Amino acid sequence: MAHQAHAYHMVDPSPWPLTGAVAALLMTSGLAIWFHYNSIVLMTLGTVLLLLTMYQWWRDIVREGTFQGHHTPPVQKGLRYGMILFITSEVFFFLGFFWAFYHSSLAPTPELGGCWPPTGITTLDPFEVPLLNTAVLLASGVTVTWAHHSIMEGERKQAIQSLTLTILLGFYFTFLQGMEYYEAPFTIADGVYGSTFFVATGFHGLHVIIGSTFLAVCLLRQIQYHFTSEHHFGFEAAAWYWHFVDVVWLFLYISIYWWGS
Amino acid sequence: MYYKFSGITQKLTGSAPTAAYSPQGLRPGVPAEAPAMIFATPTKVVSEAGAAVEYMGANKVPDLQRIFQTSDGIPIHLKRGVPDRLLYRTTMALTVGGALYCLVALYIAAQPTNK
Repeated sequence: MAHQAHAYHMVDPSPWPLTGAVAALLMTSGLAIWFHYNSIVLMTLGTVLLLLTMYQWWRDIVREGTFQGHHTPPVQKGLRYGMILFITSEVFFFLGFFWAFYHSSLAPTPELGGCWPPTGITTLDPFEVPLLNTAVLLASGVTVTWAHHSIMEGERKQAIQSLTLTILLGFYFTFLQGMEYYEAPFTIADGVYGSTFFVATGFHGLHVIIGSTFLAVCLLRQIQYHFTSEHHFGFEAAAWYWHFVDVVWLFLYISIYWWGS
Repeated sequence: MYYKFSGITQKLTGSAPTAAYSPQGLRPGVPAEAPAMIFATPTKVVSEAGAAVEYMGANKVPDLQRIFQTSDGIPIHLKRGVPDRLLYRTTMALTVGGALYCLVALYIAAQPTNK
C-alpha cells in the first residue's frame, strides 16, 4: 500500500452506494407495482439487490478494518460517533411511537369508551410471558457483558460461549413474542390500542432480530479471530445496539404491557 | 538557573537541572526508522493458554492481512479475486438490468387505460 503521513482512512472508490440506491428504487417502485398489478418481481429483485449490497459493503468494511488496518484510533473515534448518532436517531424513532401511545391512552376519547384499555379490549397479562421476556432480555444484557469482558481478557472460549448464549436468548425472546402475537386476543386492526401495541412492539421485535443478526456476525468474526483484546469495535457497536433494544423493551413493558393494561 | 528549549514558545525557558541535561528540543529530529509494531493479543500466548488457542479452528487473520495488504492497485471489493468478481458482476448486472426494468415498468404504469 502507498505510504501516507496521517492516520485517516482514504477509502477506495466503491460501487455499493450506487447499488444500494438502485435497490431502494426497485423496492419502492416494486411496492407500487405490487399494489397495482399484483406482481412481486420488481420488489423481490430490489430485496435481493439490497441483500447483496449489504453483504458486500460490510464485508469490505471488515477487510478494511481487520485485514488492512485502516481503523486507526482517530478512525475508530469517527465510527463511535457514527454509532452513537445512529442509536440516538433510533431513540427518537421509538419516541414517536411512545408519543402516539401516551397521546391515545392518557386522555382516551369517548369513542374508546373514555377509558384505557379501550372498551372491549382484553389485554395480555403483563406478569405472564411479557415478564419472562423482560427476564430473558435482562439476562442477555448480562451475557453480552460477559462476552465483552472475555474478549478484553483474551478468553476466546468464554467469549464464543457467552456470545452464543446471548444470541440464543435473543432468539428465545423473538420466539416468545411470536407466540404472544399468535395468542393475542386483539389485532392491529382493533382501533388505536391494537395499532399502538403492534406498531411499537413490532418495530421493537424487528430491532431484536437486527440486533441478534449483528451479534451473530460478531460471533462468526470472533470464531475467525477478528477481535483482539484491544480492538473490537464491531462487537462494542453490537453490544451498544443490544443494550438499546433492551432499554426500549423495558419502557415498552412498563408503559404498554403493565401501566397500559 | 537551568534552561531548556520550549517547544511551544520556541524560546528558552527555565527548567529543572535534569531536563536541561537532556535537551529534548535540540534532538536531531524524528528517528528515521519506524517504531516497532505492537500487536494487540487476539488470545493468550500459547504457553499460557495451551489447547484453547486452537479452539474452533486456527487463526487465519495474519494470512488474510498479507493478502489484503499487497499493493496491487485493486480496489477492496475485488481484492480476493474470482469469487469477488463473480459477486460484483452479478450485483452490477442486477443493478443495471433492474434499473432499466424498473423504468419500463413505471412507464407502463404511467399509461392510463382508457375504456
